[in-house]
Amino acid sequence: MQRIGKTVWKRLKANRQTLLWIVISFATLLIAWQVASMLSQGRVQIPAPLEVFEAFFRSMTVPIGKNTILEHAGISLWRVLLGFVVASVIGMAIGILMGVSPKAHAVINPLFEFVRPIPPIAWIPLSILWFGLGSSNKIFIIFLASFTYVTINSYEGARNVDPKLIGAARMLGASRRRVFTHVIFPSSVPYIFAGLQIALSVSWAAEVAAEIIYSQNGVGWIITMGMNNGNITQIMVGMIAIGVIGYLLSTLMRVVEGRLCRWNRQET
Amino acid sequence: MKRKKYLWLSIVSVLCVLVLWELVTDVLRLMPSYMLPSPLEVCKAFAYKVSGGVNPDGASLWTHIATSLKIALGGYLAGVVIGVPLGIAMAWYKKVDLFVKPLFDLLRPIPPLAWIPLMILWFGIGYGAKVVIIFISSMIACVVNSYAGIKQTRQVHIWVAKTFAATNLQILFRVALPTARPMILTGLKTSLGSAWMALVAAELLASTSGLGYMIQMARQMGRADIIVVGMIVIGLIGAALSSLLDLLTSRIGGKKTKRRG
Repeated sequence: MQRIGKTVWKRLKANRQTLLWIVISFATLLIAWQVASMLSQGRVQIPAPLEVFEAFFRSMTVPIGKNTILEHAGISLWRVLLGFVVASVIGMAIGILMGVSPKAHAVINPLFEFVRPIPPIAWIPLSILWFGLGSSNKIFIIFLASFTYVTINSYEGARNVDPKLIGAARMLGASRRRVFTHVIFPSSVPYIFAGLQIALSVSWAAEVAAEIIYSQNGVGWIITMGMNNGNITQIMVGMIAIGVIGYLLSTLMRVVEGRLCRWNRQET
Repeated sequence: MKRKKYLWLSIVSVLCVLVLWELVTDVLRLMPSYMLPSPLEVCKAFAYKVSGGVNPDGASLWTHIATSLKIALGGYLAGVVIGVPLGIAMAWYKKVDLFVKPLFDLLRPIPPLAWIPLMILWFGIGYGAKVVIIFISSMIACVVNSYAGIKQTRQVHIWVAKTFAATNLQILFRVALPTARPMILTGLKTSLGSAWMALVAAELLASTSGLGYMIQMARQMGRADIIVVGMIVIGLIGAALSSLLDLLTSRIGGKKTKRRG
């Protein structure tokens, strides 16, 4: 226990300059925000920082609309999870298939290249026509947003397997299936994870965009409602929630990647 | 021979999808045309909009494209002009890094699109709000990539430069910037993509013309053919912008990298 305390203290001491600067820059931001809020008038209204933080914590128990902010966050996260998981499974399957078989690549890649330049956000109107105004249209948008990244990265992963490894495994008598499960798949995992990581943050952005454009609940709805009612405090509360969740999601992915791809990092 | 087979398979696959699409819509009528227009309807709508038709959204395709491009390029240029030097300064000067990085890390988890409602309230639904949104979304990628690029500079190279009495600025321009060039160019490309996406999102939410507005209007009127036309045009322009940037940067970057090697 004491030793841990000592190392933490040592690290703090080494990073004292960094810490000091973090405090300085945050303080500058807060002061600038406070001054701006006192000077603001007319159309450009800026609420004071304290007011916003207070509203943020209040909204955890007092509902905005029908739900508290935690419930809104839960609703948004559930949609992201559904879209992301479905897209990951399908994207990995298609990507690896394209990487392993040139025939599949010839069939799928042109279609993929046609659809890819269209930003997922541009699908929102069509998705609303197809799936209605509820959750499913957002899940479709999230699916589209993450699908691309997972597919491309899985493809790159499966294609860039060291041919020597495949050759060695084949020579030692491994069946095609065994080569796939023991060589090709494991060595594409780091690529796939890079794809999943981008895909998750992109899905979060897509979810927020889809909710801002049309929704009845979720964190994006909070800021749209704030916009419609001219309530800037509520908009900022929503943005804080979105930022916190975005940060947590990317941290989570990094931790999982660190665990699953440890072998890869040690090697290089 | 193998190349030929690949090409054949690709053509057949695209044709199959088109035929399937036509079958589902015009021939078997499994999907009503307000949900999924047939390829022929899309072509007709495309021809109509390209030839300057103003229904159902009140402006021709060219007007919408011009509005969108003006906003997107304006915000993008501002993002590049501010983002790249900021990233370089953060990576090169420790004080700037220590001061700006915490703020940058604080704001980065918020997707740029989440700024749209706030900007609309502050700046109205006109030109200003959208330019600011695109500025934010393109600046982030520029800063991140320039920062990472400069940080890649080998310490040994800096030592060599120092030994030959190069000043700090000389090292930055002669050693660090050439090292960072590929990363900076990647940043320019990434941010162009996110700028274009942010534009579409901003126009979907609040605007009175532009490609996003066109597909949003088409949705409200149940004109799926116009939506698909809009999506195709958005995709085409996005792809065209990115290959244009590739062309420009290969002209600028290509020669010098060769000379280096």
